[in-house]
Amino acid sequence: MTNNNLNKLLVFCVLFCAQKTSIVHGAQALETKVALLLHAEPENPKCFAEGMSDLTCFWEEDEERAGSADQYSFIYTYQNENSSECSVTALPAAGGKRLYFCRLSQTQLFVPLDIRVFRDDLLIHNRSLFIEVVFLLDPPANLTLTSTGMQGQLKASWLPPSLKYMGDSMMYEVSYAMAGSHIGKVEAVQASSELILRGLQSGTKYKVRIRVKLDGISYSGYWSAWTDPVLMETMPGDLDPLIVSLSLIISLVLTLLSLLVLMSHRRFLLKKIWPIIPTPESKFQGLFKVYGGDFQEWLGHSTGGLWLRPTYFYSEEFPAPLEVLSEVSLGPVLPSSALPPKASEALGEEEDEDKKLKRVDPALMEGWRETPQEHWLMDQLRAIHKHPAPWTQSSLLESHDAYVTLNAQNHSVEEPLDDILEETLPLQVLFASGRTSSESRSDLGSVQQSSGSGRLSSQSSFEYPNHTWPSKGPGYTYMAVADSGVSMDYSPMSSNKIDDIGKGVIYTNEYKNEIPAHRRPIGTPIHFAF
Amino acid sequence: MTACTCMFSIQCGPVVVLLTVLQWAGRGLPSPVRPICDPRVLDRFIMEARDTETALRGCKAGCGVTGTFVVPLTNVDFVVWETKDTEQQALEVQSGMSLFGQALGAVRESVSRVAVQILIDNNKSNIHSLGQVLRSLHIQDLPLPPAPAVGDLVTRKVSSLSELLHVHTNFLRGKVRLLLTNAPACQQNST
Repeated sequence: MTNNNLNKLLVFCVLFCAQKTSIVHGAQALETKVALLLHAEPENPKCFAEGMSDLTCFWEEDEERAGSADQYSFIYTYQNENSSECSVTALPAAGGKRLYFCRLSQTQLFVPLDIRVFRDDLLIHNRSLFIEVVFLLDPPANLTLTSTGMQGQLKASWLPPSLKYMGDSMMYEVSYAMAGSHIGKVEAVQASSELILRGLQSGTKYKVRIRVKLDGISYSGYWSAWTDPVLMETMPGDLDPLIVSLSLIISLVLTLLSLLVLMSHRRFLLKKIWPIIPTPESKFQGLFKVYGGDFQEWLGHSTGGLWLRPTYFYSEEFPAPLEVLSEVSLGPVLPSSALPPKASEALGEEEDEDKKLKRVDPALMEGWRETPQEHWLMDQLRAIHKHPAPWTQSSLLESHDAYVTLNAQNHSVEEPLDDILEETLPLQVLFASGRTSSESRSDLGSVQQSSGSGRLSSQSSFEYPNHTWPSKGPGYTYMAVADSGVSMDYSPMSSNKIDDIGKGVIYTNEYKNEIPAHRRPIGTPIHFAF
Repeated sequence: MTACTCMFSIQCGPVVVLLTVLQWAGRGLPSPVRPICDPRVLDRFIMEARDTETALRGCKAGCGVTGTFVVPLTNVDFVVWETKDTEQQALEVQSGMSLFGQALGAVRESVSRVAVQILIDNNKSNIHSLGQVLRSLHIQDLPLPPAPAVGDLVTRKVSSLSELLHVHTNFLRGKVRLLLTNAPACQQNST
């Protein structure tokens, strides 16, 4: 007995719990449907059919104006039939509202139904409808997601609402989105209980939900509520062969491009990685290869290549300033006592030549004044030019990039030229007369005066690539000067001197190589370049 | 046949006779009809009836149609409907279709507008096609309801063309569809 009582009690509890659960579930479903219709249906009363033989109607009123359920009467009339009445029940609602319900358990479809609601004999609602077009079904049950075995696909299956005669009239909307995302897609399907979702990302979790509605041909109604979302992850993606091949092609192309760039800049890169150790071999031809580094021997056998190679003059040593002074002084001729220090250094071994030059200097001095001595001077210069070897020994040229030769034609100027240019041997010849000022020995930057004798012209060494100095006549004295391009300052001569020069060439302080054309003697070449 | 007669005047004679006999016999033999169970067939008829109803709803003065028409009742109580067997259901459907055919015939004679005539002709054709569909489901043609008494239970009168077409649409959506959807011939195919 006790066991039987316990069993009965247990069964009762289970049934009660189940019923309570179903009641709770039913209440929740009703609440959901009410909320849906309040939003979707504008007319009152709002009616919906859940099955084949039922109809639920309700209307809403404010709590303040609401009366008891007894005050309301719900009268319904089918076409060609007598009216009937439905009992009204009231339920509280959120937001200070009250809901009044009426539910019919036996209905007729495909025939007009008139509904009238009275409150205390006062008609408050009137509506005519067909029940088969106000279906509001429960959401599909048992929504299940399975894998189809293919990438980016999921199969959704569900259980259609169990309504007889209406299975082929149902249509569904399947909403799917990535988990955590609010942007999803919707696919519609009709009269089916499964759908394959395609185009999904691999290895991604998706949430899917579904709702149902009748298609509207024979039966119609409202969209049901969405089911609870179901989550499932798609299959992990394999390496797409297309992506792999494209990646390989792109990497190959990038590799080729980088190789091309490297090859085009290989010299630059080699210099950076393996910097070339500079060797002076290019400057001293044959010094290492022929003479094994013996500089003295190399010097002894080297030809005037130094003079012939302009590259020699493009060494990286600092250029020394060049000052060329050329004055027509009225004073006494100063004895040529000193040579420019560099010239003296370079020619330290050439004492013979110096003496020779010194002997020449007085002659030069005279030569400036008198034409016969001038001729002798020219001869001397030519003789020197024929033997350009000593020139190569001059270290004065080491620091200069170009030659500047001043051709001075002295006819009437009494004072000898006092050119201060960078010495070569010819310069020494000329300066041996002592016309060089002390300042000019080291200062190579200015050419103060270039014309004491009238005409001056300068010639660049470039114009004589073979370094053959053309003889331009007795009126010219050549001075080969190496200058680094520093400005040459030609100081203006005194007015007396200017008058004396007359038609001579006047170089002003502005080192522009501007020679007044009208003053330039005809036929006198003027080249001045650094 | 002429060539055969010319060339084979001796052999063609019996062959011709045989072919003629077979052709005559073939007309009388009922050919096996495959059941038409696709609900989309009836759905098309329903939609066309609805379109006709919508098109002629705003017809002035009822499109010139006067008089009353006997139409079947369209209400369906599923509980009651399921208690009826297929034959009773078929009887209701076929008698109703017959009434609609008669009414539409009378309407066709009274309208003068060509557009209205085309729509009415289309609906009449659909009613005839439905008869063929019912026949394919082995629902035999039943004679028309003989007595008005029977018709009173399942008929009523309408006095306008729009109401006639409206009832016609409801009838197709309701009883006719229920009958076709649950025809035994279609149930056997689905199971």
